[in-house]
Amino acid sequence: MTVLRLIAGRVLVSLLTLLLVSMLIFAFVEILPGDVASRILGRDATEASLAVLRERLHLNDPAPERYVRWLGTLLTGDLGTALTSARPINEILAPRITNTLLLSAFALAIYFPLCLIPAALQALNRDRSLDHALSVVTLIIVSLPEFLLATLLMVVFVAWAGLFPAMSVVDDTTSFWDYLRAIALPGTTLGVVMAVYAVRMLRDNLIEVLDADYIRMAEFKGLSRWRVMIRHALPNALVPTLNVTALNLAYLVGGVVVVEKVFAFPGFGSLLIDALQLRDAPLIESTVLITATVYIGANLVADVGAVLLNPRLRTG
Amino acid sequence: MTEPLVAVEDLAITYGQGVEALAAVQSVGFTIGKGEAFGLVGESGCGKSTLAYQLMGYRHPAARATGRVLFKGTDLLALAAPALQRLRGDRVALVPQNPTTALNPAIRVGTQLAEVLHVHGRAASVEAAATRAAELFERVGLPTPRTIGRRYPHELSGGQQQRVCIAIALACEPDLVVLDEPTTGLDVTTQEQIIDLLIELRGRLGMSMLYVTHDLGVLAQIADRVGVMYAGHMVEVAPTEELFSSPRHPYTRGLIAAIPRLDGGPRSPHRLRGYLRRLELPEGCAFAPRCDEAEPSCAQRRQTLEAVGPGRAVACQRWRALGAIDTAGAGDGAEVAATDGASVLDVTGLTLRYGRQGVLARLAGQVPPVVVRDVSFSIKAGETFALVGESGSGKSTIARAISGLLPLVAGSIAFQGQALAPALAARTPDQMRRIQYVFQNPDASLNPRARVASILGRPIAKYLGLDEATARPRIEDALREVRLDAGYARRFPDQLSGGERQRVAIARALVAQPTLLLCDEVLSSLDVSVQANVLDLLRALKRETGVAMLFISHDLAVVRELADRVGVLFRGTLFEIGRNADVFTPPFHPYTHELLMAVPSAHLKRRRVPRRDSVALQGAACSYAGRCPWQKGETCVTAPPPWREAGNGLRIRCHLTLDELTAKAVWRAEGAAA
Amino acid sequence: MTTVTPSQAPVTPPSGLARFWRRAPSSLRVGAIILAIHVVVAVTGPLWAPYGVAQMGAGIPLSGASLAHPFGIDQLGRDVFSRVVHGGHIVMLLALSGTLLGLVIGAVIGLLSGYLRGWIDEVIMRLVEAMISIPFLVLGLLAVSAAGPELSGSPLLVIMVVAFLYAPRIARLARSAALEIVTKDFVTIARLRGESPWSVVRRELLPNTTSVLLVEFAVRTGYAPVLVGSLGFLGFGMRPPTPEWGLMISENRTLLLASPVTVLGPGLMLASLVVGLNLFTEGLARILGRTVQIGQR
Repeated sequence: MTVLRLIAGRVLVSLLTLLLVSMLIFAFVEILPGDVASRILGRDATEASLAVLRERLHLNDPAPERYVRWLGTLLTGDLGTALTSARPINEILAPRITNTLLLSAFALAIYFPLCLIPAALQALNRDRSLDHALSVVTLIIVSLPEFLLATLLMVVFVAWAGLFPAMSVVDDTTSFWDYLRAIALPGTTLGVVMAVYAVRMLRDNLIEVLDADYIRMAEFKGLSRWRVMIRHALPNALVPTLNVTALNLAYLVGGVVVVEKVFAFPGFGSLLIDALQLRDAPLIESTVLITATVYIGANLVADVGAVLLNPRLRTG
Repeated sequence: MTEPLVAVEDLAITYGQGVEALAAVQSVGFTIGKGEAFGLVGESGCGKSTLAYQLMGYRHPAARATGRVLFKGTDLLALAAPALQRLRGDRVALVPQNPTTALNPAIRVGTQLAEVLHVHGRAASVEAAATRAAELFERVGLPTPRTIGRRYPHELSGGQQQRVCIAIALACEPDLVVLDEPTTGLDVTTQEQIIDLLIELRGRLGMSMLYVTHDLGVLAQIADRVGVMYAGHMVEVAPTEELFSSPRHPYTRGLIAAIPRLDGGPRSPHRLRGYLRRLELPEGCAFAPRCDEAEPSCAQRRQTLEAVGPGRAVACQRWRALGAIDTAGAGDGAEVAATDGASVLDVTGLTLRYGRQGVLARLAGQVPPVVVRDVSFSIKAGETFALVGESGSGKSTIARAISGLLPLVAGSIAFQGQALAPALAARTPDQMRRIQYVFQNPDASLNPRARVASILGRPIAKYLGLDEATARPRIEDALREVRLDAGYARRFPDQLSGGERQRVAIARALVAQPTLLLCDEVLSSLDVSVQANVLDLLRALKRETGVAMLFISHDLAVVRELADRVGVLFRGTLFEIGRNADVFTPPFHPYTHELLMAVPSAHLKRRRVPRRDSVALQGAACSYAGRCPWQKGETCVTAPPPWREAGNGLRIRCHLTLDELTAKAVWRAEGAAA
Repeated sequence: MTTVTPSQAPVTPPSGLARFWRRAPSSLRVGAIILAIHVVVAVTGPLWAPYGVAQMGAGIPLSGASLAHPFGIDQLGRDVFSRVVHGGHIVMLLALSGTLLGLVIGAVIGLLSGYLRGWIDEVIMRLVEAMISIPFLVLGLLAVSAAGPELSGSPLLVIMVVAFLYAPRIARLARSAALEIVTKDFVTIARLRGESPWSVVRRELLPNTTSVLLVEFAVRTGYAPVLVGSLGFLGFGMRPPTPEWGLMISENRTLLLASPVTVLGPGLMLASLVVGLNLFTEGLARILGRTVQIGQR
């Protein structure tokens, strides 16, 4: 009962935030320079045709009214029509999102081993040379901008080793094997960036758990080291792991923007950049709103997950 | 003599290496016989817990241990991990200091107990383990022992959590139980119940105990022999009775003198001064810098334990010269203050709810519960009035309302005959100056980023309008008043000990030249020995400055020593009020009696009365009904209890008549019995 | 906060700097050395750089690394090493001033919000949450687009965008730091004394939040070059021919197969600057007894 109320509360707050975000995005796109109508019809459009288009697009209505109308159509699941290509945004988005999801799946697949193994190694060898060495390595990698890491991977695996294509261009006809080759480098970049961040956080969290009184008590009960780890430490280390993973998922939705751009991967992120460069208002609104939704959703999942995993919050 | 169960021989434990090495324990040796309870006492940081953990075979990664810790002849320091695992939890078990952090928050308590049984092969099946768990939970006095195992630790109270920990420790019927300050984190009443339980269990199961505590009073009740530790050294070992009747080591004497006494009798003058500074210890006797009896050679010569009688040893070169010391000694005794001055504070019909509320909660129509109900009392000039009660009784809430931090629901507060505005903003600067507050925890009440000079200088500037140059002598005066050196003005709070910080907090209140001092549990965050010193300071200040005090405390012994008048509070209701001496003699309100019975005593063997653990009934006319051992049937639930006048201004609120109350009282002041 | 550790730091004799240096964590020392080298190069670089920022014909385009041209020659025949050296102060100034602006705005909003509480706090914090909910870089790109073509490529815009991205995050932190301190008894004592809100903020709140804000400032400064570089790389930051490192990496990326060193040079500089800043931050946090999370989420 209390759990349901707690979760309902979190969901409500998330929805409120999302509403505020939609206003923010709308306001930003509103002050985007340039007249929408003249951009669609080109330089040599007549004043009369511009006026007709403005009327048709409701551009003369006051901003709040247009915001409410936009929100209304959004709720029906219709994202509108892109300005530049005049195609429905839903149609444009579908293949892009599929690509980005596959890329994210690849990144997550390498993320988990890449963060859990070093973090556990560091926590169990605290303040020994292995811990220090891994700390330095993760600090250096975490300091590298995504575009630089991506570029370095390209230098090594494309320019020197020639293992992968420089451009990760894919379409419907790409074979599974080529697809995998195409997403290998961008996926690795994202996975590594997420993992090093998580390692640094998890190491500290794991040490905190290992230092807890109840771990020492478990040892004093005569349990084996192995049993203490699996039975007593692991359940308590789950919550921080889930938390940092949710943070990383939230990051992922922004991170794909840069990484997809570097590899020219036709995903959701590069679509967002294209939309901004073309000043395609409806497309910008849709893509940015989707990133914010994913961000808020990831945080919500982390919150709810923490509630469900932690008996103190669950029944308290 | 049979072979002892435990023999610690020349044990030394060092943390760190090289110049930064810290000797936590140095050449300590003692034995614990079969079925014996050995107490280990000392101030925080003396190494007693480190020592206790060695009996669990604990190896801190940064620590190095030499010597031997023999358990049934096996050296635990040299034991391989698998053998140690078989021993731990089975033959040797630990009851931790803080049950809240010692129980795994993610696992049900029943599972945590069953685990020990399974690991050590004490339960053949899941069902057998469950049966045994219920049996153990019942034995440690947990309610609904069959179902409580399904709860998570956070669903239990602190006392219940500690009972679970005790049940876990006893699960395999160990030969030795190590108790590491097992009652420190608990309420007084809960403390008492846990100690009762331990005494009873020991009598029934006959296991040996190593009981570690900073509180000698507890050991008086539970230990057969006591070892006194100071800065990693064992300075005295003696049978409990003898230790209390004739302590040999100056440090032991100081510890005993620091225990507040309930009989209002004289206090020993052998107070401890200063505090343990581990980084500035002399080569010889570690206690020398704080010792009144030290000779110059003490600081050079190492002191070793020397037998001074059957089962007794002391590490002090001057023990012969000091002889056996009478713990009673000569003291200044309880004070009788002038109580016929003008009234400073009049609280009438005070009713309070806890805290402010968020907008959302208020919209949802949630009203915070009433925590103080119709409380009236007054304090005269120069008088110290104490409010006692367990945590949650509303004592601090009353002080917050007087200070202007909490709005009143009903009632009024008058200060020096004039009505006091409830809201701080509506009070005059002079009223703000005249009422000063000293908080429980000096760590939180002093700005860590401000030097003592500016902590004291700011109120001087604000209240008295003095600039920095004129304020400086005032700051030094204020420090002198609380017995601190003028050099302390340049320090930051983290360069002070806990007791020194509390002195600064008191000085900050005094520079305002207040008429009324609100002291909110000002002693409870301090070590026992430091407590005694701050208590002395408060008594002296009371005499020197004539300030009136509202002294809030859960500690009856402290109240007995300091207060002129006392009010006893339970769940926001005042049950008894009167002069100090009268409150501590029959007739007692049943709750006052319960509190008195709960005080551990070093000066007398305990008397035990059957007690009721039940919780007070919700919504009863008398808030103590349901928990009251002397309850008078349904009347207590249906009708509010009347005030009864017992003369001398002593008033008791109870359905029982004064004669009935007098007849039921078992507790007697110790001095009277001796 | 509550431990009674004998303090080692407060009294620093004249020779204190040397003692401090010897006692400082190694991460702080290594970080400081890297940063010192970067600062020296950035300040003096324009004086000794072998070629000008936009000077063409420095060598054969794409001729690769050599002693005369350690980072090679770009497509337009410019010496990449000289450009990298010229760019140092630009990168650092943009990062530092953007972060500083964000810190001031964020700290003021956060501390005020935390102290005043009530509905103002509620509104500000909802807005701050909403801004944080749009991923970092996406919000940055959106802000740059909204600013319009007149401002695009101007250092002022880059600084403002960095501050705009940081301010809400710093505000959230400053608020929670304030909330933690407002409940402390010494603040209550000050209130009981009748101190004004401003006096409470200045005497009690600010001194006790400085270390939090200082570490936060260091962390943010460490990420700012990444942010500036990312904007430049995506074409939303500085404009050519500015020798901003992110922009240079983007320009020379087309030459990756022909002359990787033209990318690796600016990359090495950017990476070493950020590593230096982060090492310094980690050491600083350890001295101040705070935990720190390097990197942005």
